Amino acid sequence: MTLSSLTKEQLLKLARDHGIVGRSRMNKAQLVEALSQVTSGPSEAPPERDPTTRRELVAARLSSFLDQSRTCNWRSVEGHPCGLPTVKDHNRCTLHGGLDGRDLAIPATGTLGFETWPTLLRHVWLASYDIDPIGLDPVVAEMLWHVVNYLYFEYFRVEVEGVENIPTTGPVLMAANHGGAALPYDAVMLTLAVVNEMPLPRRPRIMATEFFNAAPTLSHLYRKIGGVYAARSDAEFLLSEGQIVGVFPEGVRAFQKPFSQAYQVQRFGRGGFITMAERHGAPVVPVAIVGSDEVHPAMFSSTMLARLVRMIWPSQRVEEMAVYLNLIPLPIRWRIRFLAPIQPSHSGQDPDPLEMLERTEHVRSHIQENLDRMLAERGSAV
Amino acid sequence: MRRVLVTGAATWTGSRLIQAIETRPDLEVIAVDEIPPQVELATNVHLYELDSPEFAHFVIDTKPETVIHLQTVDRSALLGGRRAHDEAVVGAQALFGAIRRCESMRHVIARSHLCVYGMGPRNPSVVHEDDELGERRSRYAKDLRTVEGFLEDASAVRTDIDFTVLRFAPIFGPEVNNPLSRYLRLPVVPTRLGYDPRMQLVSGKDAIEALVHTIDSQVAGTFNIAAPGQLFLSRILRLGNRVAHPLPRRAYDIAVRGMERADLYLPQHIKRLVHHGMYADTRRMREVLGFVPGQDLRETVLDGYGLLAPGVKTR
Repeated sequence: MTLSSLTKEQLLKLARDHGIVGRSRMNKAQLVEALSQVTSGPSEAPPERDPTTRRELVAARLSSFLDQSRTCNWRSVEGHPCGLPTVKDHNRCTLHGGLDGRDLAIPATGTLGFETWPTLLRHVWLASYDIDPIGLDPVVAEMLWHVVNYLYFEYFRVEVEGVENIPTTGPVLMAANHGGAALPYDAVMLTLAVVNEMPLPRRPRIMATEFFNAAPTLSHLYRKIGGVYAARSDAEFLLSEGQIVGVFPEGVRAFQKPFSQAYQVQRFGRGGFITMAERHGAPVVPVAIVGSDEVHPAMFSSTMLARLVRMIWPSQRVEEMAVYLNLIPLPIRWRIRFLAPIQPSHSGQDPDPLEMLERTEHVRSHIQENLDRMLAERGSAV
Repeated sequence: MRRVLVTGAATWTGSRLIQAIETRPDLEVIAVDEIPPQVELATNVHLYELDSPEFAHFVIDTKPETVIHLQTVDRSALLGGRRAHDEAVVGAQALFGAIRRCESMRHVIARSHLCVYGMGPRNPSVVHEDDELGERRSRYAKDLRTVEGFLEDASAVRTDIDFTVLRFAPIFGPEVNNPLSRYLRLPVVPTRLGYDPRMQLVSGKDAIEALVHTIDSQVAGTFNIAAPGQLFLSRILRLGNRVAHPLPRRAYDIAVRGMERADLYLPQHIKRLVHHGMYADTRRMREVLGFVPGQDLRETVLDGYGLLAPGVKTR
């Protein structure tokens, strides 16, 4: 069996596995030539990355921060012991002051899986740990993390590039393209990409609209798993504490666009995020996300439906609503690319309106270019 | 000997503060309130209606150097909504009018409440002292904002006086008997289904200490006073071994009305708090005012439920 006997699709897949640059623009003969230089035949193609092992790799890396042989010396007022493993070279676990478990997303139990739920639920029941001012609850966030990891590794098979572009310390502002139509899957996947792939896991705080504040159950759940209400003062509070803040500057506009406009990055509001980053000396990391727009392909966006929603629930200020047909998300293969950070100018004053517009447009077009390239490089969507 | 005038001597904080000042040889206390206090005080309490001109003239005649305005508590359950509003707003107008004419005055402290920021879905998660917010204020919060406005007007005229506003978190403690602490101590606590508010509290002892600290340090400005830390309502009830009973809106309203029949009146601002929750930044309290509460929130909660035995470590 030789390379020339394969179809072009199979050749493209092989070329992707070998990371051949510019493969989408090659014809079949060029592909055969490029592939014959790097491999002697398809039998030696590297095996597909097994999702279970990938998750186990992440779990092994995360547990290396903990010392499983010792247990935390915290005791509740009633005398209940903590029972969690300590952080290396500390006497305490991540929940009780060993490390800042809220900012550094290291699982308190050191493993990723449902088997940790009884232990974690016990800590929720004992109310043994503190939450942060915004309302992040490290234990509830960790429990949800184990659930969503199945989506991340097995359903959406998220591939991440460029995590080294996220600074390991200090305030960071991530600006990503938004999509989804039904649920903010991209916010969850972006969080997991940072938490799972960074060498020292940091927890990004993603900003959400007031819809979440008003909706029952979501109102406290989105805070507990690390969401922030999109008020400027809250973002500035987090940046001044040196945390990672994630924003979707397109806002609901991107959420409501029909499928015909998929991966077309909308206008970035008024660019307030540039001012915030400038004030706090935070680098802006643009993020290109491929996958979010196809999970629930929106047929069209309807103003009639939005009017109906406003009639039933007047506090929601929706103007358009995306209409989609599939109730379960499509198993799209996701890709998240963190682009090179744009450093703040440290000029000590807010950028003037024109400069802000130019810099916002720069971030937007940078994301758009990368989205186009990633879409061209990608073979099949699933 | 500094002369300190305390309004609201019959309030919980007022009578405890007067007891604390009585032990101090360098301070002389003059207590004023509309109703007689419930605890024994060595000081004679002058009974004045705050919104009467006689009270204003009494303030000018006694020539105090420090005024502590504590009669900003919500007395709508005791006096009725309209009378409470008059007492709070017109009373403050009379008091700050008198302060403007009082030559001896050096320091004015007004007690406020965190609910002035309002509570609702469009408020930021963390509020700061300088934020000007207008989201869903209760009637009491609007009154408090008016009182703070009188204080700001007076501070523009009398630049020689230090004006301090202390915005207290709800007070909770073993002997405290305010609506929120009675609500939190119910064996089964009705809560709103689908909402788990973030809450801050301050222990009664720390509230008194914050006031005494402010009398001594004489720092001007506005400060949020709360115990360090924040907890969800569900966790507070868990720490106190109380059962939270989530109820949908209609059923919750019926339960609240039932509690009112049973002499547990929940004012509007407390209802907002246990619905939306809030968190106020206390960095300025520690860094500018220089006050650090003795108990953090976890200890305050356990102490308020009588679960904090002496010598028990909570962290």
